[in-house]
Amino acid sequence: MKEDKRQKDIGPSTIPQFWQAALRIAEKDLRAEFRRSYEVLSILSFAVGSILICSFAWSSGGGIAEPEVTAATLWIILFFASILTFTTSFTREADRGTLGGLKTLPCSPVAILIGKIVYGIVLLFLVECVLIPFSIIFLNLDLGGGLPLLLLVCFLGATGLSFAGSFVSGLLMFSEGKTLLLSFLLIPICMPVLIPSVLATEKILRGSGIAELIPELQLLIAFLLLIAAIMILTFKFVLEE
Amino acid sequence: MSSNTVAVELIKVSKRYGYLQALKSVSLNISKGEFVAFSGHNGAGKTTLLKIIATHISPSSGTVKIFGDDAFKSGSEIRRRIGLVTHVSFLYDELTVRENLLFYARLFSVEGEGFLDIIEALGMKRWYNVPVKQLSHGLRKRADIARALIHDPDLILLDEPFTGLDTNTCDVLVEYLKTQKGKVILISSHSIEWPKKFCDKTILLERGEIVNEMPF
Repeated sequence: MKEDKRQKDIGPSTIPQFWQAALRIAEKDLRAEFRRSYEVLSILSFAVGSILICSFAWSSGGGIAEPEVTAATLWIILFFASILTFTTSFTREADRGTLGGLKTLPCSPVAILIGKIVYGIVLLFLVECVLIPFSIIFLNLDLGGGLPLLLLVCFLGATGLSFAGSFVSGLLMFSEGKTLLLSFLLIPICMPVLIPSVLATEKILRGSGIAELIPELQLLIAFLLLIAAIMILTFKFVLEE
Repeated sequence: MSSNTVAVELIKVSKRYGYLQALKSVSLNISKGEFVAFSGHNGAGKTTLLKIIATHISPSSGTVKIFGDDAFKSGSEIRRRIGLVTHVSFLYDELTVRENLLFYARLFSVEGEGFLDIIEALGMKRWYNVPVKQLSHGLRKRADIARALIHDPDLILLDEPFTGLDTNTCDVLVEYLKTQKGKVILISSHSIEWPKKFCDKTILLERGEIVNEMPF
């Protein structure tokens, strides 16, 4: 045993340690996810395929849909992509037994959940980065100067979906029929994210500035704060078998 | 027994899963430096007992003290001093042995690759950069044991570590565990053939109760 190489810190966990643990769990998940790239590719091919189908369907009307239709389409695709992402988030850990490894870690259960949330945000933002250019090309999306605003709404929306998706995935990981339950439960839980995201996207597509998006952004941030409070108070009980 | 020599103290610990009483008011003291084997038939409560000591599951009633602290009140500090191996591997198939060990090592604040001595002792150097999914059952088990020991834990919990391993791998594991003097090793096994080579005593469990305790 080379004791000098091993740093034994048995003091209480600090905030930097909490975030380090969360980021390392997210990094591990992303690394594993990209090693089995077929899952990321299946989510991306679903997103691109959906855009192409909408493009074909709308081509008879000049290829341009109303902003509310385009906004709803983008968020429907993103919502289903999030279901595909979070179906496996905690479930795979529980099914393979690696959840036990996470439970051996000297970190808060909330750090494990935050790690899963960061992983979900990165994956969903990746889907958005593919979705937006394809929408510009195939749905004739005219953003004008609204791209930074759209990216902000997409980021907040992906964060909200990831908070809700990761938490529900954790809640259901020991349940029978968890895939079906996740799809059913995510619809009502994600409504406070989806409604302001769709409305904000529609306003951006109509050329509105940030001042007109304040109510939707406030709703998104309020949802994030609410679900974060629920997670912090309850997640330690979720990890118990 | 003085309290500063006690490593693990269970006071009237019970665990119930629905209608199933997995542990019935188990009390025991294990001193620092002791190597103890829990034996018994399937369903005797060995795994539940180790999981409770590892703070993986909380008992329905009773108190668990690890190195003098309440295990469930100071969870994350206690977990730094525990290394757990169960019959399910905690390694990620997609990652290499090195990536898996680095992931766990960083979270236990182990600097650099200060665990290479364990890799060598367990004969895993050749497979260090191989994805876990390509390893045989025995090699995966060795890698998982290395994972549990990288942070130099004071309390090593091994749940059925010899199951499914060939004689050579069992020998490697026994020789390695013999070098862990001064630590506490708790091992569960339905057979005492391997544990008796390095353990000080065996505790027999039956239907969630301790029925016998004897030295090897």
